[in-house]
Amino acid sequence: MTSSSAASRKNLSKIACNRLQKELVEWQVNPPAGFKHKVTDNLQRWVIEVAGAPGTLYSNETYQLQVDFPENYPMEAPQVIFLHPAPLHPHIYSNGHICLDILYDSWSPAMTVSSICISILSMLSSSTVKQRPEDNDRYVKNCRNGRSPRRQGGGSMMTKYDN
Amino acid sequence: MHVIVIGVVSLITMENEEEEEVIGEVEAMKSVYESDCIILRSIPPHFHLSLKPRTADVQSHQFVEVVLDVQATPQYPKEPPSVALLDCKGLDQQRQNYLLNHIKTKANELSPGLMLVALCEEAAEKLSAMNHPDGDCPLCLFPLVPEDHQSETLPFMKLMSCFHCFHSECIIRWWNWLQSSKQTGSATSNNAAAHPNHGNSEKLEEGVGNCPVCRKPFHAKDLDHVLDLVGSHSSRVSLNNDEVNNDEIILQSEHEIIRKQRFEAILCLQTENNGLIEPKKDLVILPGMYLPQQVTAPESTLTKEPDEIEQHERDPPAVGSGKHVSGTSNGSSSSGNRNFGARRNRGRSDHHSSSTARHPRKPVQQWVRRDNP
Repeated sequence: MTSSSAASRKNLSKIACNRLQKELVEWQVNPPAGFKHKVTDNLQRWVIEVAGAPGTLYSNETYQLQVDFPENYPMEAPQVIFLHPAPLHPHIYSNGHICLDILYDSWSPAMTVSSICISILSMLSSSTVKQRPEDNDRYVKNCRNGRSPRRQGGGSMMTKYDN
Repeated sequence: MHVIVIGVVSLITMENEEEEEVIGEVEAMKSVYESDCIILRSIPPHFHLSLKPRTADVQSHQFVEVVLDVQATPQYPKEPPSVALLDCKGLDQQRQNYLLNHIKTKANELSPGLMLVALCEEAAEKLSAMNHPDGDCPLCLFPLVPEDHQSETLPFMKLMSCFHCFHSECIIRWWNWLQSSKQTGSATSNNAAAHPNHGNSEKLEEGVGNCPVCRKPFHAKDLDHVLDLVGSHSSRVSLNNDEVNNDEIILQSEHEIIRKQRFEAILCLQTENNGLIEPKKDLVILPGMYLPQQVTAPESTLTKEPDEIEQHERDPPAVGSGKHVSGTSNGSSSSGNRNFGARRNRGRSDHHSSSTARHPRKPVQQWVRRDNP
């Protein structure tokens, strides 16, 4: 479902390429704690392994994030979803889509993959209950574009994580 | 008994004297720093001091700013006062620590003397030396000021509200992106995710944006000067015909030629002094020394002969009067002065002329010839 939308994606612009290469180098030197970048030759799609933080509901669990970069990154936010199986969390739909404002309206080009990862881990860590969003079934059924939720969610779900 | 009483009295007067000295010192602080210094308490002294780098009378050359909290104990001046940073702009954690440690070390050195003014002056000096943006552009992640001094330094700018710095090109690209997303609005759905939400759009219409790093609002007019810069930069790259003609007209204007000659005169003086910028005292006969230049530079003076002579007669005294020379050459000397902002600004505005100035007139040859007679 997500791969089809990614395939139709335009290639990265020169600026996006430069910036991503820079981010990759920085990641290799100084990766965010709890994250592992799975090396591929595809700069436009990163797969990142997340380890639940110790002492939280998700400790000893690992999940996989898929980050797809748009042509005009970092002007546009990357698309970030959890690969199956997605963690049980009030802001994560069963199809892997994440309700997090910085991935949509609150995106700023000064953010990086690394800062997104930290926000997502922080969102996981602050959860007090392992459950799906209330409208999970309706959302997953109506979701066609393969893009993480935005506006359809009504905004009430959005978690504010500014980092 | 009698003796003991006298002893106590003299101790009290000594303490009073000391106290008066400290009060005097606080008064001195007030008069030196005026409204930048907020006295919270005179005895023992406690005050807030807002410090700006000394090299930056112009706000656009200012990249750092701090507010110090200086608090002395009743034991002051036997004990140095404690110093903390209440607020700062343009300094990351590392540089904050560096500045603070420097001030604390200085305080220990100056102890047990009265030190308030001296300490604050030291802090101002240090802050002036640190008056340059640090780190990477938050948008492209490449350094604002390349460390190897070999890569090209791109022009950068600073938001006045928060002192976050960006490459001018990067922030303008982002700004234009926001503007165009605003215009296309919600009509396009594909890229909708990156569009600012309603709140943001309204703000943009008022000419206000949010810093990409800290979201602090800034006025669009803060970007005006770089908008111009980026405009001229891209037109230079694209080599628009009209612009080229304009450039040529400007470069060959009388005013520009005079400017070039003045620059070369300074350059020669600098070469003569092996890069030293202080002019020699015995260069009183300066006007004569520059006469040969007139003869060897006929191509630019064919029609402007009288003006040229007049210019040369006016020129040398300006060169000789130390202040002018050192002021100008300080701006282009690379080491010593850490005020990158000022330096860059000047480099930018002088870019055309300084690089083209050397071409047509071969200053080196002239210099050799001038030396011979």
